Amino acid sequence: MFDLLKRYRRQILACGLILAALLLYSANLRRSGAASFFERAVLAVTAPILNGFDTVWRSATGTWDHYLWLIDTAAENDRLNEENRRLQSDLIAVQEVGLANERLRRLLDFKEELAVLTLPAQVIGEDATSWFRTVVIDKGSDDGVAEGMPVVVAEGVVGRTIRVAAGQSRVLLITDASSAVASLVQKNRTRGICRGEGASLTLDFALRLKEIEIGDLIVSSGTGGVFPKGLAIGHVEAVSRGDFGLFQTVTVTPTVDFSRLEEVLILLRLPLVDEAL
Amino acid sequence: MRLLFYALFGLMGLVLQAAVLPHLVPLQFKPGLLLILVVYLGISEKAGFGAPLAYLFGLLFDVFAGAEPGRYGLLFLLLYFSVRGTIGFFNPENPLLLLFLVACGTLLESSLLIFLDGFFAAGTLWPIVLRALLPQLLVNVIAAGVLLLSVTWLQRRFPRLRVPGMQRLDERYES
Repeated sequence: MFDLLKRYRRQILACGLILAALLLYSANLRRSGAASFFERAVLAVTAPILNGFDTVWRSATGTWDHYLWLIDTAAENDRLNEENRRLQSDLIAVQEVGLANERLRRLLDFKEELAVLTLPAQVIGEDATSWFRTVVIDKGSDDGVAEGMPVVVAEGVVGRTIRVAAGQSRVLLITDASSAVASLVQKNRTRGICRGEGASLTLDFALRLKEIEIGDLIVSSGTGGVFPKGLAIGHVEAVSRGDFGLFQTVTVTPTVDFSRLEEVLILLRLPLVDEAL
Repeated sequence: MRLLFYALFGLMGLVLQAAVLPHLVPLQFKPGLLLILVVYLGISEKAGFGAPLAYLFGLLFDVFAGAEPGRYGLLFLLLYFSVRGTIGFFNPENPLLLLFLVACGTLLESSLLIFLDGFFAAGTLWPIVLRALLPQLLVNVIAAGVLLLSVTWLQRRFPRLRVPGMQRLDERYES
């Protein structure tokens, strides 16, 4: 018996090591979303390098943009002036709608929404693989960030924080395969779950009988408990309706350009969801 | 000294993959520098030193890859033992072996990712992995080739530079 163990000790040790790694992985899956000491330590150690490179990169590209591409500035200025005039007129119309909305809300005695506390952050790193979609941001628990907080930009939903260290956090993007967002088709309020597909999203569990068209806007429904209601997620790119079955397959293009993600906003406090809506 | 070399290369690879390459290379596929390092460990280091190091690299990689800690620890350990178990069938002095094993390693990584995701998680990762498999394999092999050429050039340029594994191959010819 001892000879047998001695003869196969390498194989036994290898199997033991693999089994231990498998058990640790399995145990981590059951653990809550909080970052371990090891993860926090690695994030803290690598953060100065990531921050340093990010600063160098931004100043280099900033120099390029500001000094070398001045030739386009005059044309760009004219275009922006024209756009500004158009937006000013749009803004007046929107303000009118806003005022009318406020009057109607008072009339119907709706609950006041909480003001959303937001924290701006910079993206300083990306996922190290080509398979997953996560980013590292330069704000952490010292700034009031906790696991599970929604992260957005002006164009729409970005993702949620999954690991938080003192000065950095990792954000799981909505395009990751393990990400799911409770969603609505804005036009006809069809409910579904938006799942990540790498570059695009798929709207699952949208009832087959509901009319969904290409170009329809998909927004967060607020029922998932992570994202507030009404944030833009994407536009419908393709709809596939079979001859039978309960649901239809909807492909969604995110409104956010994840390849150009630089600054994001972390929603520190969610607004109240209007139950009447 | 060997440990320092691997630790430095591992940390450099991690920072390059997470922060530098996404800015500099306009591709959505990042070269698997740590995967190349683990394959290299499998070729040149015995299990007593190589296996714990491969696992440690995996755990480090997990901090910047995906949402499930421990996945790449297990994956790199399996990859290391797979390379170590098959290295006896090949000629380890052939530099092309690294490229071949990196290609095989990428295929093994993808298969294990799909298996682990299907077995332990939602099983939604496979379309992404299958879509990106061939370009990723190509990027990894090119990166391994570039690294191999760089190390060979560095050794010629600085003869005192001792790269673990490479030195041992040279000593066989010298004795």
